[in-house]
Amino acid sequence: MCGTCGCSDPANDVKMVDPETGKETLIRQGGLLHDHDHGHAHHHGHDHGHEHGHAHTHDHHHPHEGDDKPHAHGPNGEIISLEQAVLSKNDSIAARNRGWFEGRGVLALNLVSSPGAGKTTLLERTIAEMAGKRPIHVIEGDQMTSNDAERIRAAGARAIQINTGAGCHLEADMIADAVATLDPEPGALLLIENVGNLVCPSMFDLGEHMKVAVISTTEGEDKPLKYPHMFRAAGLVIINKIDLAPHVDFDEDLCRRNIAEVNGTARIISLSAKTAEGMDNWLGFLDGAVVGRR
Amino acid sequence: MHELGLSRNIVSIVSENAGDRPVARVRVAVGPLACVETRALQFCWDIVTEDSPLAGATLEIVEADADTFLIKEFEFGEIA
Repeated sequence: MCGTCGCSDPANDVKMVDPETGKETLIRQGGLLHDHDHGHAHHHGHDHGHEHGHAHTHDHHHPHEGDDKPHAHGPNGEIISLEQAVLSKNDSIAARNRGWFEGRGVLALNLVSSPGAGKTTLLERTIAEMAGKRPIHVIEGDQMTSNDAERIRAAGARAIQINTGAGCHLEADMIADAVATLDPEPGALLLIENVGNLVCPSMFDLGEHMKVAVISTTEGEDKPLKYPHMFRAAGLVIINKIDLAPHVDFDEDLCRRNIAEVNGTARIISLSAKTAEGMDNWLGFLDGAVVGRR
Repeated sequence: MHELGLSRNIVSIVSENAGDRPVARVRVAVGPLACVETRALQFCWDIVTEDSPLAGATLEIVEADADTFLIKEFEFGEIA
């Protein structure tokens, strides 16, 4: 079981590692129950609490359908209407990130896939192909190790590793922390490699321009049908390891139909990050993407 | 898969709004596309509220549209 904020397990710290300096920063301490972000949002609810603790005649337990105002029905049994999204804290930080990216003209993409689909290899190839053309910054999310950030750094880009501990996805505040360290220059590309997981990351907005789902030919054509939420959230789907397709009986047309079934508007690009087949389409997509417009 | 963490978010938001007063009931709206397994959410609720300011509060889940995932309202309990 994983925690929304990585605090479901007392032993669960979220760490940020800069492989260039070796500096480790603890961005969330395990075992705390949402200590971060406290101190605001205390302003709903109580304000009208005690003005009419008497002389009211209506029933305390009527359902209040369609009524969005905070309610107060006496000293006990009050019903307070919140209408607050459960993920509202994450969403508001994500909106702040998005505004920052747009203001600076930084194209931020959130790469999601199952473990082993080839996200890191795709990033390495992308960094090599774009060398000297456009600055690239990478945020790597994994439960443990800085292996991926080291690979990205060796490929020639700035990288920050976030270790989510027991957490199964990146959240917006982790991105805000990493971006404060990376400080990408205007016009840069920020590639966020999420934790390999096709379930949870679909729920958490990081403030990215677009989610890019990566699926590989070895996973089978029906992944989009098995994990529809993630493929529905993606603006672009990359079918990676296309060089292996003939060897693993992968039916590309069927896979494309399955993607279209759950998401009729997603763009689809088939490529091999290993052989560079199809990479031009992906690089062309990156060149053509306009920050602030999906 | 992440319902334990989601339960904690709900407890955190309601606790902030309820202050020190006891809470009897929390009503959450969940849509079919919210990626939230309501049975898992119920299962986690008792564990998460135990030893929290919301101990003893019941979680009521109402069906909603699309990807809605909202805390609709909560109800204060009697002060012991």
